[in-house]
Amino acid sequence: MIGVVQEYLRKRKYGPAVVVVSGLPRSGTSMMMKMLEAAGLLVMTDAVRQADEDNPKGYFEYERVKDLEKDPDKAWVREARGRVLKVISFLLKDLPPDNFYRIVFVHRDIDEVVASQNKMLHHRGEENRVDDEEARRLFQRHLLQVKMLVSRSPNVEMFEVDHREAIQHPRAVAEKVSAFLGGGLDVDAMAAVVDRTLYRNRKEDLAASTST
Amino acid sequence: MLFGKTTNVKIEKDIYERLKHVADVAGYASVEEFVTHILERELQKFEGTDGDDAIREKLRGLGYIS
Repeated sequence: MIGVVQEYLRKRKYGPAVVVVSGLPRSGTSMMMKMLEAAGLLVMTDAVRQADEDNPKGYFEYERVKDLEKDPDKAWVREARGRVLKVISFLLKDLPPDNFYRIVFVHRDIDEVVASQNKMLHHRGEENRVDDEEARRLFQRHLLQVKMLVSRSPNVEMFEVDHREAIQHPRAVAEKVSAFLGGGLDVDAMAAVVDRTLYRNRKEDLAASTST
Repeated sequence: MLFGKTTNVKIEKDIYERLKHVADVAGYASVEEFVTHILERELQKFEGTDGDDAIREKLRGLGYIS
């Protein structure tokens, strides 16, 4: 009963929640976006960033998200109410406080994340100036800071998803995500779009490649 | 000497004795001063923003921020 009242009051104050898919870059956020699109939710994307070898099924991004840290005008985020928006974890702190956010946060093994990021930097012809150990330290601390941010934000709820579990047990994860978002999502469709062949840079493969 | 508002935290007596010993040897004015110093240093590890520019640069290279 309390939950129903809270939900009513929350909707009156903020309108429909902005569903945010977040995580470190290369942690499976695009996969989760695809799952939620398949679930029947409206995804906010301008498709400016096209699919490539790093994300063959697309990025599901909205360009203005990239400016969140610098751009003082964040009123556009309201347009994402009732829709799904991908925001990398580093920019969660820059979301405006006048919306309610339901964040589906994807976690992936930090070694896999860093390896995948390094590969992507290489593909993009960009220099990697942060050594891997430092990157791991900074990202792990950053993830803790995200949790602290969420814990003190009354307008944010977060559900954490493990990337590997989503790959191995997509339907079970889809059911949990659906429940977090209020239920009623097409979990079969969500599970069906998870492509195991796109799970690259696995930790066990990374370990094997460094030990040979 | 602690000048701000303070509160109590209970810790095991054994740890307190070890803290007291190190605080004495290291020249801290009190156990409280030593513990405050340690905690502030540890908190900095979690709350600090050093390295954010390195993250920013990496994310920019990956095309995730402008």
